[in-house]
Amino acid sequence: MVFVTCKDTVTGRACCVVLCTTEEQNLVKELVGLSTRDRIRAIRGLSMSFKEKKHIRLQSHAFRCFADCSENVSLVSVSLIIKQYNTNNQVLIQWSCFKLFSQSFRRCGYSIKSARQTLKLWQSIMKEIGGRFGTSVLSYFVFLKWLLMFNIFSFLVNFGFITIPLLVYDPSPNIPPNVSFTGLEMLTGAGYFTYTIMYYGGYSNETLVGLVKYDMKLAYFFTIAYEFKCCLSCFPCLCLSLYSMASSFKKNYVLADPTSNSAWQLLSSWDFSITNERAVRQRKNNLRVQIQESLSDKAQRQLLTLSEKLKHLGVYLGFWLLSTSLVVGCGVSIYYLCQYEQPAETLLVPFVVSLMNLVVPLLYSLFNKFEHYSSHRRQIYALVVRNILLKMSILAVLCYYWMNVVAKKFSCWESVVGQALYRLVIVDFLFLMLGSFFGEFLSNVIGTRLIPRLGVPEFDVARNVLELIYAQSLAWIGIYFSPLLPAIQILKLFILFYLKKVSLTQNCQPPRRTARAAQMQTIFIALLFFPFFVGSLSIVAYTAWRLTPSEQCGPFRGLNSTFSVVGVWMDDLHEIPGSQWVIWIYENIIKSEIFYFLMTLIIMAIIYIFWQVTQGRKELIGLLRQQIVNVSVLYMCL
Amino acid sequence: MGTTASQLGKDSLAEYQELTFLTKQEILLAHKRFTELLHKDHKGDPHARVPMDRVLTLPELKSNPFRKRICHVFSTSEQKDGSLTFEDFLDLLSAFSDSATLEIKSHYAFRIFDFDDDGTLDSGDLEKLVNCLTGDTDDTRLTTEEMRQLISNILEESDIDKDGTVNLSEFQHVISRSPDFVSSFKIVL
Repeated sequence: MVFVTCKDTVTGRACCVVLCTTEEQNLVKELVGLSTRDRIRAIRGLSMSFKEKKHIRLQSHAFRCFADCSENVSLVSVSLIIKQYNTNNQVLIQWSCFKLFSQSFRRCGYSIKSARQTLKLWQSIMKEIGGRFGTSVLSYFVFLKWLLMFNIFSFLVNFGFITIPLLVYDPSPNIPPNVSFTGLEMLTGAGYFTYTIMYYGGYSNETLVGLVKYDMKLAYFFTIAYEFKCCLSCFPCLCLSLYSMASSFKKNYVLADPTSNSAWQLLSSWDFSITNERAVRQRKNNLRVQIQESLSDKAQRQLLTLSEKLKHLGVYLGFWLLSTSLVVGCGVSIYYLCQYEQPAETLLVPFVVSLMNLVVPLLYSLFNKFEHYSSHRRQIYALVVRNILLKMSILAVLCYYWMNVVAKKFSCWESVVGQALYRLVIVDFLFLMLGSFFGEFLSNVIGTRLIPRLGVPEFDVARNVLELIYAQSLAWIGIYFSPLLPAIQILKLFILFYLKKVSLTQNCQPPRRTARAAQMQTIFIALLFFPFFVGSLSIVAYTAWRLTPSEQCGPFRGLNSTFSVVGVWMDDLHEIPGSQWVIWIYENIIKSEIFYFLMTLIIMAIIYIFWQVTQGRKELIGLLRQQIVNVSVLYMCL
Repeated sequence: MGTTASQLGKDSLAEYQELTFLTKQEILLAHKRFTELLHKDHKGDPHARVPMDRVLTLPELKSNPFRKRICHVFSTSEQKDGSLTFEDFLDLLSAFSDSATLEIKSHYAFRIFDFDDDGTLDSGDLEKLVNCLTGDTDDTRLTTEEMRQLISNILEESDIDKDGTVNLSEFQHVISRSPDFVSSFKIVL
């Protein structure tokens, strides 16, 4: 037995460390070789009880400080030196100043981490929802919170960089004398608001001279570009906070058979955070039903004959044709309605758009009941894809109308588009509230009093997430035309959170199908985020690139296109010495086509390499599995 | 909050923060809840044990189907009676916390599911596991035939070396493919 005494600055006492088994010594030897941060992380990750971890930590600290104080002493020689002393000798070791400093730095990191946790919004409400309804419903609220945070950021950036300079320079908006504020503007966004900073038209194109020279054009352009870039790069944080998109993609689509209804996945998805007794009993029932279904599914899957398969195929094609024609019909009717509606200041178009967004998905759910999908997952995907098609085509038709007709007809057309988007956002909010009422409250009443067979409704995560994404894409398109639109969106999301929470707790029951939640979230997010975000981005990019800004109003008046503001800036920079590198980057990298061609080639080559590596690994996994089985068979024979 | 912090001691708090995945707030809350469970005679004693039936009155554990196994796994008592000290309790919360790694969670999940504590999950363990999750009374149990088929599906999927039991590595391998696991294996006070 060997004793080493050292003064531990963490606990403040002198402690004795007894070096015991060789296994522990090996572990400690490994830990001593790591840096302090890695060592702490490694010890935390040990699957031992607290006492044992403390013991290992003390040992590794003792070894480390002994090694630090006696220079050029390797670990082997340290243990040899220690073994030379007999049991009653003690070696006193002092900590160095450096250790103290790194320790206080680490403690500072911990306190920052704790402070962040206290600032989290709605923490207790989310915990309650997660406890009663499980993680898939909770993911909707997490997503809502993320959108709210993004909108707050977006509003602050816009307000700070675009609106405040203008307000400081010229605080009074130039409103024509016969227009006054009536309450109706809150709903239509027109009238008094048209001339304020609410819309694109209210911003000037001058270079404001005050404390510094502030170019409004450049500010507007780069602020909007920065926001879109931030949204794209913040998106991975959302995925990490929901369910780690990359790893679930890799693990589910590379290693596992995506069609297997895995028993382990059903069992291991038991949600330990559920605290409500009734919810637990319901979950158990649901899980049993799911297990029984999956057992019988496996038996039944081979039983479909050819004629039945053809019949199913015919039914699918028929319903897909029907849904596509519905979408086309909606699009065409909205286009003609836009043309017919003169002047464009009534709420008719937004009302019809929101009505379609409410009614047509209900029709789709009805279709779903008549089609017999082989798996629940395919059913959900089909429903989601149809809803996405509907919403995207409505948005596409509206944007086409704005870009092609409105841009040529009105003098200050960006403000007109901004107003149209404002109205769409407001009416969409009203319909969301109505939808909550009809979707959840009425279903609850019908399900419990009138038709008890239907039962208490479930919270439809898919539909609600889609509605959120649609609302957010309206805001994304609107950022260019109405920089303060995120403020409305913030209010909307804030109220929506509480509304949905109340509706959920009063009217709904936890979802019956519990497994596959995370996988479906992954697909949802990919399906929903990319089309809508890329669509909004391309609309704004097309506006900035191709359309001529209006002559009389806005920060880009007089220019050929919004992008030319960068060209003008580059010309100005020629005069300023020392900025040659910016001009060089612009001329040779951003403007040259060869650069993009090369980048595309390189990216494609990288993707191909990764794909081949994946294929090779799949084969290797198969071979290794066979090897394991062979070895264990051999072992059992011996 | 002030009195709790002073009862816990800044150095112990720092040590707990270093050795577990919990933040300072969570540790202080855990201390508060744990001292509520203690018998009033033991309230000053940092190594006091809370018997299992008192631990199971916590609302987070009360309705959990694995509550007894959880207590047994995290308990360091000599008599194997499932009683927990404060450090055991912190261990429990750390393994079930948000920031715990997949390795830790799967290790403890394996030990929780291993009802007979023999280091592997054999058919008996799997049967008890399924019964825990689907209901134990006569009308909610699966039939014998369904149970047999389910267990053979489970073994087919996860038993790589085909020895009829699932050991820790096989369990960790099959769990790593389940994206729901890390987010469901969570208990937050």
